[in-house]
Amino acid sequence: MKKNTFSYYYNLIRELSWADFKLKYYGSILGLFWSFLKPFLMLLILYTVFNYFLKAGIKNYHIYLLLGIAIWNFFADGTKSSLQSILSKKNILQKINLSPTAVVISAIVHSFWTFIITLIIFFILFFFLGFTLDLNAILLLYFIFLSFFLVLGVSFLITPLYMKFKDFEHIWDVFLQMLFWATPIVYSQANVPQKFLRWYMLNPVTRIIADARDTVIYHSFPDLKQLFFTTIIVLVIFITGFLIFKKYSRQLIENL
Amino acid sequence: MIEVKNLTKIYRIPHERHNTLFEVLIGYIKHQMDWEPFCALDNLTFKINQGEIIGLIGKNGSGKTTLLKILSGITPPTKGTYTVKGSVAPFLSLGIGFHHELTAKENLFLYGAIIGISRKKIEKQLKAILDFAEVERFQDMKLKNFSSGMQARLAFSMMIQSNPNILLVDEILAVGDKDFRPKCISVFQRYKKEGKTVVFASHDLKTIREYCDKVILLHKGKMLAFDKPENVIKRYEEI
Repeated sequence: MKKNTFSYYYNLIRELSWADFKLKYYGSILGLFWSFLKPFLMLLILYTVFNYFLKAGIKNYHIYLLLGIAIWNFFADGTKSSLQSILSKKNILQKINLSPTAVVISAIVHSFWTFIITLIIFFILFFFLGFTLDLNAILLLYFIFLSFFLVLGVSFLITPLYMKFKDFEHIWDVFLQMLFWATPIVYSQANVPQKFLRWYMLNPVTRIIADARDTVIYHSFPDLKQLFFTTIIVLVIFITGFLIFKKYSRQLIENL
Repeated sequence: MIEVKNLTKIYRIPHERHNTLFEVLIGYIKHQMDWEPFCALDNLTFKINQGEIIGLIGKNGSGKTTLLKILSGITPPTKGTYTVKGSVAPFLSLGIGFHHELTAKENLFLYGAIIGISRKKIEKQLKAILDFAEVERFQDMKLKNFSSGMQARLAFSMMIQSNPNILLVDEILAVGDKDFRPKCISVFQRYKKEGKTVVFASHDLKTIREYCDKVILLHKGKMLAFDKPENVIKRYEEI
């Protein structure tokens, strides 16, 4: 098999993420189950606090919350694991001609599968509770696609920073914490004051979550202009991230 | 075929590594150069024809590994150009790319993916690979329980399966025991017959003299000689 072909990268990413997967759950009893337990524990906590204590007053709050959590977790876990990926493979990258791009992608693949399975569980719950879908829900596939490229783009942007500055890990942790509250996961974007809304809606995670809820839960088709704008934001992040990563990753790995 | 023109590699050796943001800011404020250049390779120009076995000798720190790293595409050169025609199998360090918590078999799949062999193909050749490495009994054992020699044999055995046109090898013969060494050499000779190029760095002058067509002598990043083994080894012994 020749290098630099699609099948080479496909095979490489598959094997890398499969190895990561085996290593991650080695020696744990619940194993794989943890990945799915996490979003549901999060759901339980947030649901209790915001439905009973703070009275968020959103209809069908469980479904509303779970879809938000699923997308958010993919974003947070995906970017976090990509940060670690290069450093944990430092030895290999410095001694074998292994594509750093493939290493980052393979780190995200695992979070992506968790995301997909969380969504499947979401839909089981969704139908069990008596909700229905209409044709608009097909757009969810497009949102999954968008979130994948968003996570990948952001990862490409932040991993070089982490390779350069080891304290970026903490900065990113705090940033994620902030972004969690700056994204309509537990509340609705309707609660955001009008004067902030313009800036607030620049956040691509917000845009994806809000539109995904509209199509899946409220059966409405999102504004095409806005959807186009979301796509542009994701594309810009992905392309800049990819170019920056391509340009600097080898140099940075050498100096790790 | 490998062609190298005016190849130079300069590493930045930091005086004190600034790893956190705070330290970098302090560094900017103090306005000092926090690294000094170190010339690992200095203006190399040479050409290796397809089918030659080339030895690479020089003292520790003379730039052998750096040269092999550049040729295999792991690190970019600072200046100059290099062209490598054909598929390259870099073999710079034994057992790198292996993960200790995975079993021998799992490692082969992972390593295979890195050097470009599919899972199917490995499954087909699994027996041959394990046989050559003499670790067949241990295929489902975790790699951390392997001795370093066993790991080295496994890595080498895997590498030759990728069937490259050009093999870049860095001092692996030092690890194998007395039975494994001739095995490696016989592989090199087979490669030579098949018209493949082998570049190998070694401190074992006897092997170099015996098997190499030509030898490159590096000293402090400069190429002092590129000639027949006898002449180059004589030169090496003078410095």
